[in-house]
Amino acid sequence: MKLFLTLLLFLVLYKGAGAQENYDVSLISKDLLPYASAVVRNKQVNVEVKSLDNTYYHIKTAITILNKNADDVAHIGIWFDKNRVIKSIKGLVYNQFGKQVSKFSESDFEDQNLGTQSSLFDDAKIRHFNPAITDYPYTIVYEYEIKSKQTLFFDDWEANDDAGVAVEKSSYTFSCKPDFKIRYKEINMPGKVVIATNKQGEDTYTWEVNNLKAIKEEPYSPSADKYLSKVKVSPVKFQYLGTSGSFSNWNEMGKWINDNLLASRRTISPVTVAHMKQLTEGITDPKLKAKKIYEYMQSKTHYISVQVGIGGFQPFLADDVDQQNYGDCKALVNYTQALLKAVDIDSYYCIVKAGRLKKSPLVDFASMNQFDHVILCLPFKNDTTFLECTSQKIPFGFLSDFTDDRYVLACTPTGGKLLHTPKYTAQYNLQQCRASFVLDTTGKITGQMNTEFKGTQYDNRDYIIEEAPAEQVKSLQKEYPINNMYIEKFAFQQDKGLQPVTTETIKLEAPDYGSINGNKIIFLPNTGNRIERIPREVRNRHFEMYINTGYTDDDEITFTLPAGYHVDMRPEATTINKPFGKFSVSATVMGNQLKYKRKLQVIDGYYNKELYAELVAFYQSVWESDSSNITLIKGN
Amino acid sequence: MKKILLIIISVLGVQHFTMAQAAWPTVNTDDLKAKRYDKDTSAHAVYLNEFGVSRIEMGSDDRIHLNYDYRARIKIYDPKGLSNGTIEIPIHNGDDNSEEVTDITGITYYTDDNGLMQSATLDPKKIFTVRDYKYQSTMKFALPALRPGCIIEFSYRLSSPYWDNFRKWNFQDDIPKVRSEYQVHIPGFWNFNASLRGSLKLSHTESEIERECFSSRGSKCDCSFIKYSMNDIPAFITEDYMTAPKNFLSAIYFELVEFTNPYTGARTKVTKEWSDVDRQLRINEDFGSQLKRKELMKDRIGAVIAGKTDTLEKAQAIYAYLQKWFKWNDYIGIYSSDGIKKAYENHTGSVPDINLTLAAALGAAGINADAVLLSTREHGNVNTLYPVLSDFNYVVIKTVIGNKTYLLDATDPLLAFGLLPRNCLNDKGRVISLTKPSYWIDLNAMQKTSESRSLDLTLLDNGKLKGTITNYYSGYKAYEERRAIKKFNSIDEFVENLDEKLPKIKIINSKIGNLDSLNLPLAETYEIEIDAYDNMNHNRLAFNPFLWDKITNNPFKLAERDYPVDWGVPSDTRLILTMHLPAGYTIETPPQVVAFKMPNNGGMFATSFEPMENGFTFSNITRLSKAVYSSEEYPYLKELFNKIILTEKSDMMFKKK
Repeated sequence: MKLFLTLLLFLVLYKGAGAQENYDVSLISKDLLPYASAVVRNKQVNVEVKSLDNTYYHIKTAITILNKNADDVAHIGIWFDKNRVIKSIKGLVYNQFGKQVSKFSESDFEDQNLGTQSSLFDDAKIRHFNPAITDYPYTIVYEYEIKSKQTLFFDDWEANDDAGVAVEKSSYTFSCKPDFKIRYKEINMPGKVVIATNKQGEDTYTWEVNNLKAIKEEPYSPSADKYLSKVKVSPVKFQYLGTSGSFSNWNEMGKWINDNLLASRRTISPVTVAHMKQLTEGITDPKLKAKKIYEYMQSKTHYISVQVGIGGFQPFLADDVDQQNYGDCKALVNYTQALLKAVDIDSYYCIVKAGRLKKSPLVDFASMNQFDHVILCLPFKNDTTFLECTSQKIPFGFLSDFTDDRYVLACTPTGGKLLHTPKYTAQYNLQQCRASFVLDTTGKITGQMNTEFKGTQYDNRDYIIEEAPAEQVKSLQKEYPINNMYIEKFAFQQDKGLQPVTTETIKLEAPDYGSINGNKIIFLPNTGNRIERIPREVRNRHFEMYINTGYTDDDEITFTLPAGYHVDMRPEATTINKPFGKFSVSATVMGNQLKYKRKLQVIDGYYNKELYAELVAFYQSVWESDSSNITLIKGN
Repeated sequence: MKKILLIIISVLGVQHFTMAQAAWPTVNTDDLKAKRYDKDTSAHAVYLNEFGVSRIEMGSDDRIHLNYDYRARIKIYDPKGLSNGTIEIPIHNGDDNSEEVTDITGITYYTDDNGLMQSATLDPKKIFTVRDYKYQSTMKFALPALRPGCIIEFSYRLSSPYWDNFRKWNFQDDIPKVRSEYQVHIPGFWNFNASLRGSLKLSHTESEIERECFSSRGSKCDCSFIKYSMNDIPAFITEDYMTAPKNFLSAIYFELVEFTNPYTGARTKVTKEWSDVDRQLRINEDFGSQLKRKELMKDRIGAVIAGKTDTLEKAQAIYAYLQKWFKWNDYIGIYSSDGIKKAYENHTGSVPDINLTLAAALGAAGINADAVLLSTREHGNVNTLYPVLSDFNYVVIKTVIGNKTYLLDATDPLLAFGLLPRNCLNDKGRVISLTKPSYWIDLNAMQKTSESRSLDLTLLDNGKLKGTITNYYSGYKAYEERRAIKKFNSIDEFVENLDEKLPKIKIINSKIGNLDSLNLPLAETYEIEIDAYDNMNHNRLAFNPFLWDKITNNPFKLAERDYPVDWGVPSDTRLILTMHLPAGYTIETPPQVVAFKMPNNGGMFATSFEPMENGFTFSNITRLSKAVYSSEEYPYLKELFNKIILTEKSDMMFKKK
C-alpha cells in the first residue's frame, strides 16, 4: 500500500515536470510581435457538463506581458454570482528567461461588485488580482475553476478578443455525457471541430487555433463578430435554476421563453384594467389606443435596473411595476404588454442586442446569450410598430439608434420569430439648419438659427432639453463652436408624431465672430456645423470599411455684409460624390448678401477596404472647406 | 475662496428641553399639485425638509456608538427629478466591526389616475445591500409609485462604532432645500471642533446642556445639545475646471479634539496643536516608524548610488530605482498598510507604502527627506486653522538639495524628479519631519509646464511645404506626451500612428530625444512634408501659420463664474515659424501682430512678425502665469483665449510678384 502511494506521487510529479512548458520569451515567433503588447502562449478552456445543473469551467492561461501597456491584460478578473461559483484559482509568474520567480493564490484576489450606478441590485461580482511585476517582459500562468449551476447557456469561446494581443496557441474543449446533445457554431474559425470520446466515456468537442497576430484597431471597422474567431455552443436539453427545457431553433427558444419566463408574469389588477379601458374610451384605431397607453406608461414609470435571481432573464410581475412604478427593460416591456392586453391589443416581447453599433442574432443559431435588452412589438396588420419602454420621453414607435435596423427575437405563444426593426436611412436622419446673420464692421454677427432634427438625429438635443433653462444656455454655448455667443432667446419644440422632429430656434449675437486685420474682415461662413476631426489614415488596411449610421446635414446660412465691403476671397464651390457620401458647398454673393450652402451626406453600409483612403480624403476635403475663411475687404 | 467659520460650542448651563424637532406638517393635495419651486423654477426636485440628529450613546451591546437618525421629505417636479427617489446609504465595514443601518421607512404621496391623493409605503423586501468592496457596502432602495409631482419621505438610523469620526452634515446638495436642520448630542467626555464650510450662513443655531444624558457603567456626564439650521439653500452647480465641489459646498464638519475615558477618567488629546500631531505621527507605527527605517534600505540602495558623489545625482538615482521597482496598487492614504519592508519585497504597495520607502531610502543615503501630507484635488482643501488629520489622503516626500526644494512621488514611473501628479496640486500640504516641527508648504508654487515648438518650412514649386518641426516639452506637458508615446509598443508604432492621424502631413523622418531621461525636456523632431496646395497656379495663396496646433474653440464660454478656474499649474507655450517662399512670391497680408496682457501679470498672449528675404519669421507666446484664477479674473482669462482664437483664425496671404 505504502509503495503504491509513493509510486503514485512519483507519477504525478513526473507528469507535472513533463508537462512543464518553456515560457522563455525569446521563443516567441517574430511574426507575432508587431502591434502586440502581450502574447498568449497557451490558453486552454475546458467546459465539462457533469449534469444538467452542473457545469465546470476549467481555464488555464499562460500569457507573456511584453510591456507596461499590457498590464490590463495581466489583470485577472473572474466574474461570479450565486449560481456561478469560483472553486479555485492559482498562478505562477515567470521571468523573461522562463524561470519561475513567484506565485499567487486565491487569497491575493479581491472582490468587487459589478453593479452600475443605475442598478438597484446586481448580484454579479468580480474577483480580481493585479500581479505586481515591474520587470518586463514576464509571463503569468494561472488556472481557475468555476462551477455553474445551469446548462442553459455557456460562455462563448473567443480565441482572441483583445486588441494588441497575439496568440501562439489557444484551445477549447467541451465535454459532456453522450446523452447531452449540443449544437455549435464556428465563426471565422480556421479549423474544424475534432469530436472524440474521452476516458470517462464523455463526448468531447475540441477546437484549436495557432499563431494569431495581434489585432490593430482600425476606424470604421465592422463589429468584431465579423472577424474574430469564435465558437458558440448551445444545449438541446437544459436546466436553468429550477426550470428545465429544450430548444434547437429560434422558434422553440422563443416559445420556451414565453411559456416559462413570461406567460405567468402579466397579471394586473382589475382596477388597472378598468383604468386602461377608460383611458382609451372613444378611440377606435388600435394604434392610437396603443399610443395612449404607451404614453400613460411613460408618464407613470421610470427605469431602474434590478437583477435578482433569475431576474437576468425573467421580468418582475406586471402588478409589481404597477405598484412600484419602476422596473428594468424586461419589467417595463412586460408591464406595457399587460396594459395593452387590457384593451385587447396583442404585442410581442422582443429580445434584442442594443447599442449604437448594429448587431443581430445569428439567423441560423439559437442561443440565449446573444441579447441584452427588450423592446415591445405591436404586430398590426400591414404595420409593425416597435416600442422602447425604458424612456420617459422617446416618441411612440421610435427606436432611435439604440435598437434600429437589426433582427430581434419576438417571444410569442406560438413560438419565436425573428423580426427586423426599422432602418432609418441617411436621407431620413436629417439635421437641417437655416440661419441668417448680419455681420457688422467690428466682426460681430447678429441673427437667428433654426435647426430641425429628424430620424436618428431627433434626439441630438435631448440632453439639453431636459436641463434647467440657465443650464440650457450654457450647454448651447458649448454645443456651438461660436465664441462669445450671447443667446438672446431660444426655444425647443418636439413633435412626437410618427416621424418625430425636434426644432431648435436660437436668436443670438456674437461679437468678434469675424477677425479684423487692417482693412479686412475674416470669418468662417460655416458658423455652427463644422466636422471636428478627420478619420486617421490606415496603411495596409485589414478590415472592410463599415459605416454604421448614415446621416444628412444640410445648412444654409445667409450673411448680410457690412456696407462698403466686398468679398476678397471665399471658399471654392465644391461637389464630391462617392459611394459612401456626398458633399457640396458653395458661397454665392447677391448684392450685399452672401449665401453659404453646405450639404454633407454619409451613407451607411459595408464598403471595400480600398475605399477607406477615399473616405479619409473625403473628410479631409470637408474639414478644409469647413475651416475655409471668407475675407472681406473695404473699398473697391 | 474657502470660508471656514468656527462655531464656538458654548457650554453654558441652560435648561434641558425636548430634543425632537417640531412635527412636520402633513402632506396635502396642494403640495402635490405644486408645479415648480418658486425660489428656483428650474429645480427638478427640492428638499422640503431635511433633518438629522447624531448622538454618542451606549448601544445595547454595551459599547459606545455614534447613532445618526436621518429623515428627508423631497418634492419631485419632473421626470428628471425621479432619480432623487433612489436612495443610497454608504456603509463602512471594518475588519472587526461595521456600521449598521436599521429602521428604514419610506413613503410616497402621489395623485393617482383619478386625481385622488394616495400614499404607498416602501416594501422592506425591496431594500438591497451590495458589497462594493472590502471596506464598503451600499444600501439601496427606490421609493415606490414615483411620478412627477409626488412627494417622498424616508428615514433611517445608521449606527456606527466609529464615534471618533463624528458625522458631518451637508446643508447644500445639487437640488435646493427649503430647510435643513442638524442636531448633535455630544457627551462631555468628548470635545469636538465644529467648522462650517461654504459661503452660506446658518439661519439659526442654539445650544443647551442636557443633564446627565450619558451614562455608562456608573460614569455619567452632561451633554452639549446643539441645533444648526439653514433655510432656502440654493442648489450647488458645478463648473468646469474647478477643484472638488466639497471645497465650496455648505456643510458642517466635526473634528475630535479631546476624549475622556468614562471609566478611568484618563484624558486623550486627539487633535489640538500641530505639535501634538507631529509627536503622534512620529511614533505612529504606520507612519513615523516606517519613515525611520533607514537601516532597512541601506543595503538595498548601496548598488544604486555606488560611485555617485553628487547629492542630487544620488537622490535622482534612488528615485528612479524605486519608480521602476514598484507597481502602485491604486490605493492612496497617509498610513502605510503593510509596512515598507513587505511592500518593498512584494514590489507593490499603496502611495504611503511607496513614498515612505522613498523617504527611508533617501535617509539611508544621507539625504534629508520629510513627508508631506496633502489632500488630492477631488478630496478637497485642507483646514489650515487647526490640524484635521482626516482632511489628508495622500503623502509625498520633500527633500532639499542645494537650496532647492523637490517634492517627490515615486508611484508613477513617468514622473520627472520633482514633479507631483496633477491630482496632488491642491492648495497646501503639511511637511512632517522626524526632527523639526511641522509647517505648511504651497503645493502649486514649484510646479510648471511648458511647451515650445519651432517650424522651419519651405514652400516648394509643386505646392508642398517641406521642412522640420521640433517640439520641446517640459513639466506636465512632457509627462503627458511621454505617456502618449509609451502607450505604443515602440516609437515606430507611435510615429506611424501620429502620421496616420495627420492625413495632409507626411512624416518622413523622426527623432524622439530624452524619452526615458525624465529629468530633461522631451524633444521631438519630425521631418515633414505637407500637401498645402494642389499646384502653384494661383495668384494668391491663403496660409494659416497655426497649421500644427490651432485653438478654434474657447474653453470658456460662460459670461461669468462663481468658483475659481483651477488648473493646478502655470503654463508657457511658444511657437516660432520660419517660412521660406519661392522666389516669385511676396507677402500681401501679414499675420496679426497682437499683445494682450492680463492685469497683474496674470497671463499674456503676444505675436511678432519679421519679414526676411523670400520669407518671414512669425512667433508667438501664450503664458498663463497662475495656477488658479479667481472668478473676478475670469473675464480676463476668457478674453485672453478670445484674442488667441481671433489671431489664429486670421489667414496670411501670399501673392505672385
